[in-house]
Amino acid sequence: MKQFVSFIIKESKHILRDRRTMLILFGMPIVLMLLFGFAITTDVRNVRTVVVASPLSAESRQAVGRLAASEYFTITATVSTPQEAELLIRGQRADMAVVFAPKRGGIQFIVDGSDPNMAQQWTAYAAQVTAGPQSSAVNTKMLYNPQMRSAYNFVPAIMGMLLMLVCAMMTSISIVREKEKGTMEVLLVSPVRPLMVVVAKAVPYLLLAVLILVLILLMARFVLGVPLAGSLFWIVAVSILYILLALSLGLLISSLAQTQLVALLLSAMVLLMPVVMLSGMLFPVESMPQVLRWVSAIVPPRYYISAMRKLMIMGVGIREVAREVLILMLMVIVLLTIALKKFNTRLE
Amino acid sequence: MIRYLIQKEFLQIRRNAFLPRLIVMFPVVVMCIMPWVMSMEVRNIRVCVVDNDRTTHSQRLVHQIAASDYFIFTGRKPSYRAALAEVESGESDVILEIREGRYLIAANAVNGTKGSIGSAYLSQIVSGAAEGASPPALSSSLILYNKHQNYKLYMIPALFAIIMMMMTGFLPTLNIVGEKEAGTIEQINVTPVRKWAFILAKLIPYWLIALFVITVSLLLAWAVYGITCAGPLVWVYVLAMLLALFFSSLGLIISNYSDTMQQAIFVMWFFVVCILLLSGLFTPTRSMPEWARLTTYANPMHYFIDAIRTVFIRGGGFAAIAHQLLALLGIGLFMACWAVRSYKKNGG
Amino acid sequence: MNIIEVNGVSKHFGRVTALENVSLSISRGEVFGIIGPDGAGKTTLYRILCTLLIPETGRATVEGFDTVSQMKKIRRRLGYMPGRFSLYQDLTVEENLKFFATLFGTSVEAGYDSIKAIYRQIERFRNRKAGALSGGMKQKLALCCALVHSPSVLLLDEPTTGVDPVSRKEFWEMLASLRERGITIVASTPYLDEVRQCDRVAFLEQGRIRGTGTPENILSEFKDIFNPPPLSLCKTGMPTSADDNIAASSASHAGEDAPVIEVSHLVKTFGNFRAVDDISFSVRQGEIFGFLGANGAGKTTAMHMLTGLNQPTSGSGRVAGFDIRTEYEQIKRHIGYMSQRFSLYEDLTVSENIRLFAGIYGMKSEEITVKSRELLRRLKFEDHKDDLVKSLPLGWKQKLAFSVAIFHEPGVVFLDEPTGGVDPATRRQFWELIYDAARRGITVFVTTHYMDEAEYCNRISIMVDGKISAIGTPAELKQRFQQPDMDSVFTYLARRAKRSSD
Repeated sequence: MKQFVSFIIKESKHILRDRRTMLILFGMPIVLMLLFGFAITTDVRNVRTVVVASPLSAESRQAVGRLAASEYFTITATVSTPQEAELLIRGQRADMAVVFAPKRGGIQFIVDGSDPNMAQQWTAYAAQVTAGPQSSAVNTKMLYNPQMRSAYNFVPAIMGMLLMLVCAMMTSISIVREKEKGTMEVLLVSPVRPLMVVVAKAVPYLLLAVLILVLILLMARFVLGVPLAGSLFWIVAVSILYILLALSLGLLISSLAQTQLVALLLSAMVLLMPVVMLSGMLFPVESMPQVLRWVSAIVPPRYYISAMRKLMIMGVGIREVAREVLILMLMVIVLLTIALKKFNTRLE
Repeated sequence: MIRYLIQKEFLQIRRNAFLPRLIVMFPVVVMCIMPWVMSMEVRNIRVCVVDNDRTTHSQRLVHQIAASDYFIFTGRKPSYRAALAEVESGESDVILEIREGRYLIAANAVNGTKGSIGSAYLSQIVSGAAEGASPPALSSSLILYNKHQNYKLYMIPALFAIIMMMMTGFLPTLNIVGEKEAGTIEQINVTPVRKWAFILAKLIPYWLIALFVITVSLLLAWAVYGITCAGPLVWVYVLAMLLALFFSSLGLIISNYSDTMQQAIFVMWFFVVCILLLSGLFTPTRSMPEWARLTTYANPMHYFIDAIRTVFIRGGGFAAIAHQLLALLGIGLFMACWAVRSYKKNGG
Repeated sequence: MNIIEVNGVSKHFGRVTALENVSLSISRGEVFGIIGPDGAGKTTLYRILCTLLIPETGRATVEGFDTVSQMKKIRRRLGYMPGRFSLYQDLTVEENLKFFATLFGTSVEAGYDSIKAIYRQIERFRNRKAGALSGGMKQKLALCCALVHSPSVLLLDEPTTGVDPVSRKEFWEMLASLRERGITIVASTPYLDEVRQCDRVAFLEQGRIRGTGTPENILSEFKDIFNPPPLSLCKTGMPTSADDNIAASSASHAGEDAPVIEVSHLVKTFGNFRAVDDISFSVRQGEIFGFLGANGAGKTTAMHMLTGLNQPTSGSGRVAGFDIRTEYEQIKRHIGYMSQRFSLYEDLTVSENIRLFAGIYGMKSEEITVKSRELLRRLKFEDHKDDLVKSLPLGWKQKLAFSVAIFHEPGVVFLDEPTGGVDPATRRQFWELIYDAARRGITVFVTTHYMDEAEYCNRISIMVDGKISAIGTPAELKQRFQQPDMDSVFTYLARRAKRSSD
């Protein structure tokens, strides 16, 4: 036990003394949370709009007035022909043009379609705004995220990414570093059980990950105003399950890699890329081709992020995320077994 | 003299077990998989219907929804509450409740984009079906440049940015820190090699590789997706080289200030994530709050993305991107000067 | 019963034979030496003994326990110090020691007696991080860590490589006291004086045991490797170290008696620490100047200032006619440099390395082709010119690194411990190259821990605690301090200085 404690102390010292890495480890969550919370939004806002009309009818003047008053659109210019408007759009000085064609009595929107999503949203919003208040048979209600803030969507994703990064990457690198420096030889030859070496390596990173988890949750709640709708107990419990999963992945990588560089590349390519790309963090899984959807089925953060979105944002009970939790548990068991089997008590 | 240094770099790249494979595989994987993944297109939205009316009209509506490309009909539910449970367990994204000829659309808006686009589509179908041949659509829209609303076209220029970042940012950074760790840099430092010659010899191979990779990517974009550059191709290359200047300088500055690969990678990663997220590569910069929008004036990636989309998608020429070119050049030169200054052959 | 028994052990890595049918037996309480060139399979043998590797054929036992099936029992009884520094660079000296003590289930206090002789020397640095220690001090700390739990068998893989003579002596004195306590010691070493202190030695070459026996028997049986004839200096027309007319003789090469290196009152401080403390000396053209000193005495720092890798805090100096403060880039054009381990690119071939460095010094392409062919012939490397440097034996790498360092005919060449870790015959060949260079008028500035090499120098200086405490020809120094050989001179000076600094 004494050995175990001194092991953990030693490991913590390594972490604490590497100031730059520490700074990144804690700076990263804060910066990412702020960026995703405030800066990275897909909200429709400040769309630069050009009005095309030779003589403006009273009706169209009203429509323009409504556009200018809305927070979505900014009228930047008024030109007389659609061609002029198009030039402005190509020169990146406008995003959208509103053409009032008095003959047909309709409105045409010319949008920069480079970003299809935004183009669609702009036209939808513009149509709504110009049409003015009218009673419709259709009533739309946005559940869980009435203001449609991107932060609600991104916070669980950031948690999935950061916890994976901290646990898997840092653990694997710190184990491989000992291999590379030759200290692993001494540790293995010592009477300490190899399993203990590994567990002691993982404990400080587990604590670090929990610390980061707390930091993220606090920031999400009090800085970004993202609700923690579900039970805090289950949020933390599922997160710890996920941290364990990430630690076993790190362990597995460390037994495959011989040098820090390989460990780094392995964790970057095998972990980080799929996490960012295939977990549904930024890009919805449903829109991918079938093959990629199958691949994403084995990416652990996918389940974690999905579970977190449900627990944190939608505020559902643990029963609704039972499937995700079960899959995560299964993954932990499988990965941990493989990792421990693979862990070499010798050099080969 | 620089000739020998460049020769050496190429030999080392070729001898490396990993790099040649990376250089060949990277564009292929990026171009063949990423456009499918990096799509924020909203598709396959799962709709469940609570039909309290059970009229032929509502029957027809359900058929229409099921037939649409955007929606997957997941079934009828007896009550709104049952439907909500469906959403909570993640089986459905949108609920359509029909009661006495009025419609309620409740969308899961955890992912705001998906929620708003999904409900907009659905309300289009619903109001179309409800009003039948009543007033003709008041507005029409004309979509410029990306006529088929192809998300891949929007993302491929962004992929060029990511490729340049990897090839000219990360690889040279690893290379220089690697020489630091191996100690060979000490040998170079006692030779009369000029600072800029040593640095240039490190960068030129990666610039050439990046050009090669970009060319391959352009070919793949054409061969796989039938997507070609709308504007003059030369500006794609000019922009790529300017971005390379920035990223390689950034990489050098970081490697000059770090001692280990791990440190360099983490710091680099941190900067890259911030630069990418704030560049407008994924989300429009104009949706950002004021403070975040101000940072984009110093963000070379922002200028690059703006310019390359203008050239590639909108078909703009020199006139349309002159100010971005200038900004990129300015930032690149500033960083390059800093890089050469921070590399010390003669430690304090 | 023998404490270690190795029977017919073989081990291959891919196509490389590391060990081939090796059999050994070591009895309890013995100091057993394993000697042999770099790459002979010593480290593999150690790793098999301490259960880190599994032998392909044969069987090894330690204290009667099998290394394959009874791993845990062996690991409890073993102390092992790998060849590389097995320390945590970011922990302090004391933290390292404490950690390793706890690891082996003891404490620093309990084990203090067995390590105090060595630990006393580094105790004053106990709050310094291990990464900030000099090479020799790291080695001492690593030893303390391996010894702190007083194991019954101690496996030491080249424990004294790169350690100065005084510390080596202290280390072996300590091993002797451990033996008196009944601990069995297996150590490998490239130093002959250490080989002689073993009870028995085994000579390993290319994975095979060439012979086992008392040090005297082995050393005389393989005397062409371990005891090569001394360099016959007079015959080649070179001034011997004992010769008093070195200056005249080397001046005849240079044409004038101008100093190539001239240093006065050079100081370098790192924070409060005066690494180099007011040194002054000069080296003449064509001279072989030995720059000796204990670990951490400031040799490498001084060398870095002379080669323009570092700026002096105060004082002045000129190398090859250029000021070390302002004209260091010109200096770099006129010198060659070979650092301790890494001078060449391991992933380039022999001829590619030659081309690269020649090209860096601005030599013409045709000139490079002609001269490199000649060099390869002289070194007898023609068959290996397309081999990767990392596949070469250490001794070859060193010879090649030196040849590359003087390929552009510099005025001065700086060698920082160029011959660490190789056997005497290989070192002798290396020194033949040095003499060859000196004969062509190249001034050689060399640091070394081998005192037999010190005797080969024209003039030497001995640096202690940042100061030069003696300078002169080897003969002068021996006479001045009334010692029989350079080894004793060094020990005398280094020990005296330490006493005065305490």
